[in-house]
Amino acid sequence: MSKKTINIPIGSQHIALLEPVRFKFECENEKIITVDSDVGFVHRGIERACTTKFKFDGIGYVVARVCGLCAITHSLSYTVAIEKLLGTEISVKAKYLRILLLELDRIHSHMLCLSHTCESAGFEAMFMRIMGDRELVMEIQELLTGNRIQFDYISIGGVNRDLSSEIAQKIRQNLYEVKQRALGYREEFTNNWSLSLKFKGIGALSLDDAYRFNAIGPLARASGLHVDVRNEINYLPFSEVGFVMQTHKAGDINARNLIRLDEIQNSIKMCENIVNGLPEGDIFTKPKGKPNGEALVRFEAPRGELMYYVKGNATAMLERVRIKTPTFSSIPAFSHIFVGEDYADVPAILASFDPCLSCTAK
Amino acid sequence: MIQSLIKAFTNLFKKPQTIDYPLTPIAKDKEYRGLIEYGEESCIYCLKCEKACPPGAILFVKTENPSANEKNKKALEYNYNPYLCIYCGECVRACPKPEEALWQSNKKPSVATKEDKVNDNWFVLERLKKES
Amino acid sequence: MRKIEVTLENVREEIQSFYEYNKWHFLTINGVALADNILEVQWIFSKYEAMDEVIIFFAHAKYADLIPSVADIIPSAIISQRELVDMFGVVVEGSEKGLYLDEDSLQAPLSGCRI
Repeated sequence: MSKKTINIPIGSQHIALLEPVRFKFECENEKIITVDSDVGFVHRGIERACTTKFKFDGIGYVVARVCGLCAITHSLSYTVAIEKLLGTEISVKAKYLRILLLELDRIHSHMLCLSHTCESAGFEAMFMRIMGDRELVMEIQELLTGNRIQFDYISIGGVNRDLSSEIAQKIRQNLYEVKQRALGYREEFTNNWSLSLKFKGIGALSLDDAYRFNAIGPLARASGLHVDVRNEINYLPFSEVGFVMQTHKAGDINARNLIRLDEIQNSIKMCENIVNGLPEGDIFTKPKGKPNGEALVRFEAPRGELMYYVKGNATAMLERVRIKTPTFSSIPAFSHIFVGEDYADVPAILASFDPCLSCTAK
Repeated sequence: MIQSLIKAFTNLFKKPQTIDYPLTPIAKDKEYRGLIEYGEESCIYCLKCEKACPPGAILFVKTENPSANEKNKKALEYNYNPYLCIYCGECVRACPKPEEALWQSNKKPSVATKEDKVNDNWFVLERLKKES
Repeated sequence: MRKIEVTLENVREEIQSFYEYNKWHFLTINGVALADNILEVQWIFSKYEAMDEVIIFFAHAKYADLIPSVADIIPSAIISQRELVDMFGVVVEGSEKGLYLDEDSLQAPLSGCRI
């Protein structure tokens, strides 16, 4: 038999993709041998805009627009970096409210990812079901921040809105509902035959490779790598509100789904703890001065580690804003996973990565 | 697996999750972040909102026939572009007299049409601002 | 955050002797345009399961200098190197242009000196 290979592209526009990305696969029969990726279709030059067009106090709103799903992590990371440079101490209440929104964001982002993995496995009914339930989270986010997607909730010095008792009650109600429904998904993801066929043992990443390719987020934790930035930072009190790192061993698509389900449960618990034990106090402290020096801040976005490097020179314009997004640093690991898999499994594997291209290209 | 079948079957008799949007209006929360509204009588023309606005959607530009407000010494006029606004509310937080001079409503902007010349008119204001 | 100064000549040896793949997590390569057409290149690492332990290796380079590649030590560095090439218009060993920018777009948007 001859060793002839064939090149098959996926993207830049494809039915299984949410955002423009192009992968070029070199296949031998059905098996993928090499992968080449192009991720720069939605480059908008935000890093340059941050240092030339906007003053430092407005950039929190600019970087929130890097990505619609993890907007809150972007503005939070930037804001914490500026607060470090200005030496602003924010109140305990504001810190808890920030975690609350961060975790709500994680819940709805993971639900979106789960629904898309179902869709790419051909299970449309499950896609609809999860998307419908996701509305419960979107609803409380809208109540809390006044907007469904671009929350603009975090400002330098604290948060913009307080949590009233009616909203707290609504959050408790909806999260209880989401919790019950997410427990129901677990049954589907572990026992449903159509999902198991597409997910179990496919697209696996070993622990050693996870280390070698610096995998992050749910992708790494599904392979058993203990990496979660919430465990490695102390700007926000994650351990106080009940954060527990979730890991799994298998490393395949199914494990990634289960990690996301476990994280949804953990995030719901954290949100409930915050809502039930929110301390009294101000939500905003007025910051003073201009940022000077350099700060590096990391946060756990729904897709993994997000890093901000900010350098100021005591003027209103910053010298450098570097955004390192989770999907960007996962691309080498993605490419590695594809090698040796069947071409037919590509949409399912790709959906399980939960890639965010508007983050990557920024 | 069987539970999933039962669920799929009962779903047939459920009400749809979506609403018939233009016919049935979407319930709007009173805290929804909408258009910024301005009360000229209470404004003290400190221009703090203009400086705070991240996208620059508020411009105070010199005008021929200024308002009767005695604080308006430089004969300025408030201009607001709802299509540039990101509804973050920074201007309201910067305002020394919030709720009287500047506040955030829960109204949506109307759909801009070509006849409105939203961009062209705004560019003229931006040029005027730069020149002054 | 700890910063360690290296030079372009010895950065590979420094990182090779420092980097243990199951202890240190490689974050990214960052560039900062300084005055007088100097570029600060930073290789950023963080320690697994340690509280906020970040180490930055940094070297000062001119835009015309050849920046050595660390992709054989850290396979995932390849994507960061391609970004550095695009954003600052420098030459990194074995990294081609065109991750984000097309031929006809503004070249090296973040560099201090325009090329």
